[in-house]
Amino acid sequence: MDIFSGLISGFSIALTPINLLFAFLGALVGTAIGVLPGLGPAATIALLMPAIYVIDAPVTAIILMAGIFYGSMYGGSTTSILLNLPGEAASVVTCIDGYQMALKGRAGAALGIAAIASFVAGTIGIVGMTLFAPKIAGLAVGFGPPEKFSLAVVGLLMAVTLSGASVVKGLVMLALGLLLASVGLDPISGKTRFSFGVIELQSGFDFVTLAMGVFGLGEIFYGLESAIKTEIVTTKVGQVWPTMKDWVASRMAILRGTLVGFFIGIIPGGGAVISSLVSYAVEKRVSKRPEEFGQGAIEGVAGPEAANNAASSSSFIPLLTLGIPGNASIAMIFAALLIKGITPGPFLIVEHPDVFWGVIASMYIGNVMLLVLNLPLVGLWAQLLRVPFGIMAPVIILFTAIGSYSIQGQAFDIYSLVGFGLFGYLLRKLKFEPGAMVLAFVLGPMVEGSMRQSLLMSGGSFSIFVTRPISLALIGLFAVLAISQSAVTLRKRFRTTT
Amino acid sequence: MKRVVAVFAAVMFASVAFPAASMAADAYPSKPITAVVPMAAGGSSDLLARAIEKFWPKYSKQPLAVVNKPGGGGVVGTEGVVRSKPDGYTLYLGYGSGHDVVMPSLQKMPYDPLKDLVPVSRVSIHSVVIVTGAKSEFNSIKDLVAWSKKEGKPVTTAVSVKAGAVDLALTAFGKVAGINIVTVPFSGGAEATTALAGGHLMIGGGHPSEIIPHIKAGRFKALAVALPQRDPTLPDVPTLRELGFDVATWGSIKGVAAPAGTPKEVVKYIDDNIKKICNDPEFLKLMASLNQPVLYLGSDDFGKFMKQATADYAKLIKQLNITID
Repeated sequence: MDIFSGLISGFSIALTPINLLFAFLGALVGTAIGVLPGLGPAATIALLMPAIYVIDAPVTAIILMAGIFYGSMYGGSTTSILLNLPGEAASVVTCIDGYQMALKGRAGAALGIAAIASFVAGTIGIVGMTLFAPKIAGLAVGFGPPEKFSLAVVGLLMAVTLSGASVVKGLVMLALGLLLASVGLDPISGKTRFSFGVIELQSGFDFVTLAMGVFGLGEIFYGLESAIKTEIVTTKVGQVWPTMKDWVASRMAILRGTLVGFFIGIIPGGGAVISSLVSYAVEKRVSKRPEEFGQGAIEGVAGPEAANNAASSSSFIPLLTLGIPGNASIAMIFAALLIKGITPGPFLIVEHPDVFWGVIASMYIGNVMLLVLNLPLVGLWAQLLRVPFGIMAPVIILFTAIGSYSIQGQAFDIYSLVGFGLFGYLLRKLKFEPGAMVLAFVLGPMVEGSMRQSLLMSGGSFSIFVTRPISLALIGLFAVLAISQSAVTLRKRFRTTT
Repeated sequence: MKRVVAVFAAVMFASVAFPAASMAADAYPSKPITAVVPMAAGGSSDLLARAIEKFWPKYSKQPLAVVNKPGGGGVVGTEGVVRSKPDGYTLYLGYGSGHDVVMPSLQKMPYDPLKDLVPVSRVSIHSVVIVTGAKSEFNSIKDLVAWSKKEGKPVTTAVSVKAGAVDLALTAFGKVAGINIVTVPFSGGAEATTALAGGHLMIGGGHPSEIIPHIKAGRFKALAVALPQRDPTLPDVPTLRELGFDVATWGSIKGVAAPAGTPKEVVKYIDDNIKKICNDPEFLKLMASLNQPVLYLGSDDFGKFMKQATADYAKLIKQLNITID
């Protein structure tokens, strides 16, 4: 079956009333859990598993789960922009300029561009998937431990560039993030580290708890300080739609973000996170006004939001063509397919064309649904900012507490949430950028694990990182970026002193 | 359609109305049962649990809901079950995994997997299969051993986690065969097999449920099984013993357990239901498609089997002088 007739038959499956309904349900639930801090797509899909057994047709079940997954990528930016609360790792970067835009009364424009960028990138991602899925899938398995290490190190460098003015502060945040990531089970030896006999620490800190504490609660504690200012941001919501000027500034950022996201998303593990980081760094570099980044630059929202949506589409490629799940949500979809008696892998397209093409077609439809669902909501979400701080703050605290408890069902996570909140407050007072820390926390296990795996493979020789072509190219990129970054910093310092 | 909505609602409700204070109800079960899987969703233990979750309502008036509590190699979730009320409403699915039978011989445990849990029933055994990439020059264990001895080079080996059943079986094989097996641990079986499929390591170990799809896709060749007898899901693959290497382990055992002190009649009720599920032709069909052999044992026999398996692992670890440092 060629692509065109495959897609036609896919649409004939996706457009049946029941599949349309479930695509809509998935998009709706996905948006909702994306907006609610703490609830993530993986946990939601796990919770819905018993319901998935009841659905007879496998394609319908997968349409529902896929909708929840990519829908949550849309919703995730909402709280990042409005409340400085990233619901998931991939929207940490969106906080930086998105929240600044909201503070400047441009919440509407930020939400609008995030939705449009998500739609464009999601759709281009699916087109790419339709055309090239089997061809690029082979590329992903070429990423062994040495390549993943080099990629993660590039990601860490990008995280430091988020820190804005002070590189030293960025490095401090990076080190702290890596240290926090090392709490819990050692990925290689299996021994517990820094748990101090606390059972709950054996599995380490949870990402969502850390992010919600440092960003969300930290922001609220900071807000308490300025009691005169009774709202989280100004009452002025501002123009809801992006202006022509915004659009011109963002369109290339969206396209670049889409490309970055699509290719990085194929690599198993950390795809969406690294892609949003890389996209942010790219935008800052190509921008004519890099000083605006961190102050509410619209490209800083458009690029990363495009990247994480493109990555969420392309992360289906290794699953559907190789049977390799790249992240937790995709792993749940993998499990559901197996329970339904379908083994994801190279034969999926041949043995179950209805599932393959049906799901792809439904993703086109789902993206349109998400845009229609989200754009009218932009105005409504923006109204949230009118809610007085005295009401909003306790509600946010309650939701983050529920969110963090729901992940592992243990009270300990609520205590760590509050602890991270106080720490986040301290960071704000001392003008540190917590983004670098949170992202280093996500990348930490990847850096450590893949480095030690590589060294086990090479018998302890570091040459493994430069003798493999992909890894060498990434290390080279790292060197170029690091040198040019230092040159820029040094030149700036030179100018200011003379 | 209505049914789907009802299940949606029921699931949402069940997740909120978590086991509250339990009454000494006359007829067990009087409310939904929580089955804790101390591993991540999507793994082989989780798949088994989801299969049981699906068939449970067919034989019981109350549903059984699977909850994943991963962390600490399985210790965190299992300890949660150990510390919960022994009333039969909190069960452990996956009893007999690496952290129950292997870990106690290697490190101090916060509980005793044999004394603090009551075995209910055994459902499956996931054997350890040694595999290599389809393009690899090794076509048999003999090729592999001969190559390693001739070249004097280490054999890089993908394993799911450190000190798990797969790691132990491969390490033991290396010591018995007299070759240098360097195990490279990943975070779970899926990641380890992906790395092997990418050709980044020479050989790997995994459970049939993880590797058979790769074999079918033409990416892996199976070399040997580290069980005392052949694995029913891979009848053509010889055991290490048949090949002349005296290494056999119990792999990873998958059973059901309840906290110590759970009433006998409750254990019997659960065991009876699991037995009915294990005899259900549709369940057998699903398990076959998941590449997990159904090897049911009742409560008493399973208890004896667990003691034996734990002792066998302890002996192996002592003999080969394996530590996790």
